[in-house]
Amino acid sequence: MTHPVARIGSPRRLAIDVLAVLNLVATLGKYLGLAALFPIPFALWYGETPLPFVVAGVVTSGLGLLVERATAEASGRVGVREGFLVVALTWLLAAAFASIPYLFEGGEQLSSPLDAYFEGMSGFTTTGASVVTDFDDINRSLGIWRQFTQWLGGMGIIVLAIAVLPRLRVGGRQMMESELPGPEIAQLSERIRSTARKLWVLYVGLTVLQALMLATLGWVGIDDLMTPYQALAHAFSTMPTGGFSTQPRSAESFSAEAQWILALFMLIAGANFALMYRGLVLRRPQVFARDEEFKLYITIALVASAAVTTMLWAYGIAEGEEAVRTAFFQTVSIMTTTGMASADFALWPAVPLLALFALMFVGGSAGSTGGSIKVVRHLLLGKVLRREIDQTVSPEVVMPIRLNGSPVDERTIRAIAAFILLYIGFWAVGASVIAIDSAITGTGLGTLDSLAAAATTLGNVGPAFGPLGPMGSFAELGDVSKITMIGLMWVGRLEIVPVVVLLTRHYWRL
Amino acid sequence: MKIFLIGAGQVGTTIIEALHEDHELTVLDIEASRLHAIASRFDVATYEGDGTSRKDLAAAGVASADLVIACTSRDEVNLVAGMFARLETTGATTVIRTSNVEYVELWRGGQLDVDFVVSSELETAYAISRIIGVPAARQTDVFAEGQVQVGEFDADEDASPDVIGVPLRHANIPADSKIAAIIRKSETILPGGDDTIQIGDRIVVIGSPDAAKAWSALLWPEGRAVRDVVIFGAGRVGSAIARVLLDQGINVRMVEASRDQARRAAESLPKARVYNATGFDPDFLERERIGHSQAGIFAMRDDAKNQYAASLAQVHGIPFTIAIAHEAVSVAAFEQAGIDVSVNPRGVTAEEIVRFAHDPRMQQVSMLEGNRYEVLDVTTRESSRYIGMAFRDMPVHGSLIGAIIRNGQAIFPHGDDVLQAGDRVIIFTEAANAPWVVEAL
Repeated sequence: MTHPVARIGSPRRLAIDVLAVLNLVATLGKYLGLAALFPIPFALWYGETPLPFVVAGVVTSGLGLLVERATAEASGRVGVREGFLVVALTWLLAAAFASIPYLFEGGEQLSSPLDAYFEGMSGFTTTGASVVTDFDDINRSLGIWRQFTQWLGGMGIIVLAIAVLPRLRVGGRQMMESELPGPEIAQLSERIRSTARKLWVLYVGLTVLQALMLATLGWVGIDDLMTPYQALAHAFSTMPTGGFSTQPRSAESFSAEAQWILALFMLIAGANFALMYRGLVLRRPQVFARDEEFKLYITIALVASAAVTTMLWAYGIAEGEEAVRTAFFQTVSIMTTTGMASADFALWPAVPLLALFALMFVGGSAGSTGGSIKVVRHLLLGKVLRREIDQTVSPEVVMPIRLNGSPVDERTIRAIAAFILLYIGFWAVGASVIAIDSAITGTGLGTLDSLAAAATTLGNVGPAFGPLGPMGSFAELGDVSKITMIGLMWVGRLEIVPVVVLLTRHYWRL
Repeated sequence: MKIFLIGAGQVGTTIIEALHEDHELTVLDIEASRLHAIASRFDVATYEGDGTSRKDLAAAGVASADLVIACTSRDEVNLVAGMFARLETTGATTVIRTSNVEYVELWRGGQLDVDFVVSSELETAYAISRIIGVPAARQTDVFAEGQVQVGEFDADEDASPDVIGVPLRHANIPADSKIAAIIRKSETILPGGDDTIQIGDRIVVIGSPDAAKAWSALLWPEGRAVRDVVIFGAGRVGSAIARVLLDQGINVRMVEASRDQARRAAESLPKARVYNATGFDPDFLERERIGHSQAGIFAMRDDAKNQYAASLAQVHGIPFTIAIAHEAVSVAAFEQAGIDVSVNPRGVTAEEIVRFAHDPRMQQVSMLEGNRYEVLDVTTRESSRYIGMAFRDMPVHGSLIGAIIRNGQAIFPHGDDVLQAGDRVIIFTEAANAPWVVEAL
């Protein structure tokens, strides 16, 4: 019989099971390393060295395996609390993994660790902001790797892991939800595993469809530049709303037909995948007409396109079909946070530029691959504001906020308000840091350029304005700015809250 | 008919009151004291037992019943009793009372193995909806799928001079309607052409829904079609009323003191404007212009609160007040307090249930003035001696045919019309005469 005092034991200060977190992250890393196999056939086919990918795969999987073994005792102990840390670390790790091939084959423009990590984070978070200046210096296999990282990150690494890995002992819904874009209002009401699978099946299906449509344009001679390689590379960039292009002039070099297809699939990628699953796969098209977010999403896209068309026409930048196409492409690209460009909008006058700037804060739909604030949050916030106004006159009136007819929990409403405030806070602080750093290093960013640079990285859009425009590069920025932007991309992709949680004392300590 | 009744509460007692003379009743209840009270008032068999016990039901003799009514205040007991009754009897009609609209919907969907489900909340809501439709009426009821409406009106100082004191043969009476009775103090007049309506009379009218509205306008000219109502209390009764009124396109505001209750009501009734406030706060009533509503419905749980809130609402200018009287005694108190109409949910429920106990030829019955009068809906037999007789030749026996339904169409007969076999007759009668009337038709 031990003395009671002895049974009390020594104080345990940590509220987090770090070993369990490491164990799960290691497991995820072990499997993530397999993704490096993908570009190897390309390397062999084009006669390039597969070594960078072999190293990236071996290092990531090997390290994963080692840490997993070392922490085997903690296996399966991940709970809701640990989930936040798992998600945050996994995404930091994924960006590092993506950057390994750049270190070897990236040449001068990508081989500095910071630049490589920037490009890796930009890829996995589907931002599409690039430090690349010389696209000819990137070989085919590295190019497809750069596109592929976006595609992997688009639907979420953990969602993918839940979907394909057997018996991954993940703490469940909460972790998946902190990775899936958008507030948790209505998912497909099923087990998370089958939800994750359905989302990925639809994602893969749409990507294949788009790649085939683009490749067909090349085949039939409408667009000679659109080889099967380019078709796949750009499908990998469109469906996750990424924005990387293999072309120095982004989508500008492609034919009008190819641009329409790209724009259409950007619009699709910014819609709710769970909704599309119900509407397209289960063949219930009426769900689109009933979904308030979808209707608002399409309305914003069309109204903004029409407005930008008018501006371009009025300024004489483009007219006719070209004006409509250019406006639609840029609008949808920025709004869905893809960031591909069919025109160098950095050269546009202030009015259409401000329109694009505002669209950076719109974002795609909840449950899409798009980033930023997202349409449903704007929709619900609008309803909350209307209620506040109403309650100013009649304080006693009880008005549940409804989405598609169902009442939304007040907690969710508060979470949305908090999210938007945090979003604006991170944007403001980020923009300030970038502006100050730009002033010190003399990179010559204007006021709007700094604001847009923070917005574009936090919203996972991609290009900003000025020297950071769609045809420009982030290479010239100072290290502080790059680190800030890496942070913003990471925080933006995880929708802020799971990261902010890690900054609170009570997350770590009892 | 052998009737087996489970539950001797207020609903049960009202049913017993209406049925004990013509039927053989067995009453089962878990509380002996209630059974004593019943046994001392009525000649019925009583059995102390549990409605959810199949043994008790069998021992009380449910097997021989033709009609089983489960009308306790608890849904679960009624459901279980109804289920066991189905097992114990051979082909008895089962009727259960519920306070949950969900069970009514299940039953309509054929998913509850009982013959009828009667919901106090829904019956109350329907009763109020009928009153709102005919605001001058103290009570209304509909027959033949809404083609015929029976209304009970008070003729007071507001009534149009076109109908007061004018011999009925000269009065401008709305088409497709008949005055079934004029109730003057304790006297009931089955009116002829020479009779007149006096101020202070209460009249029973049978007619088309339009005629009922026309009567309402005659007797209360300022009363217009109700577009805006305010309901105090958003509990089950209040919400059921709101739902029925909203379905008719009436604008509904609700006032509920409980925060949770208000939230639930607002969630389930998107079209209603719900306030979380007490109905007793003059600032609130003033600020939200509650007095601008055309009618106030008081559906809180407490009769005293309903009465006070109704009076306060009248002070704030609500012209027409309807209050829920949970206790039968409150009806008189409400009337005394100047509330226009009171509805007793248990009474309404009992009335609905009593309909199932009548002759199979009889589709529906409505009770007026407590139980003094009934309006019956009876299908005539070939052998009736009134077949082929013109209405003018029919004897006056304390009852009056207000309408007939022939081939699904309502006809409001004139003196020359002739009764045919198979006609459904909507007939007003003194309750004491009801068995005789059914016999004769």
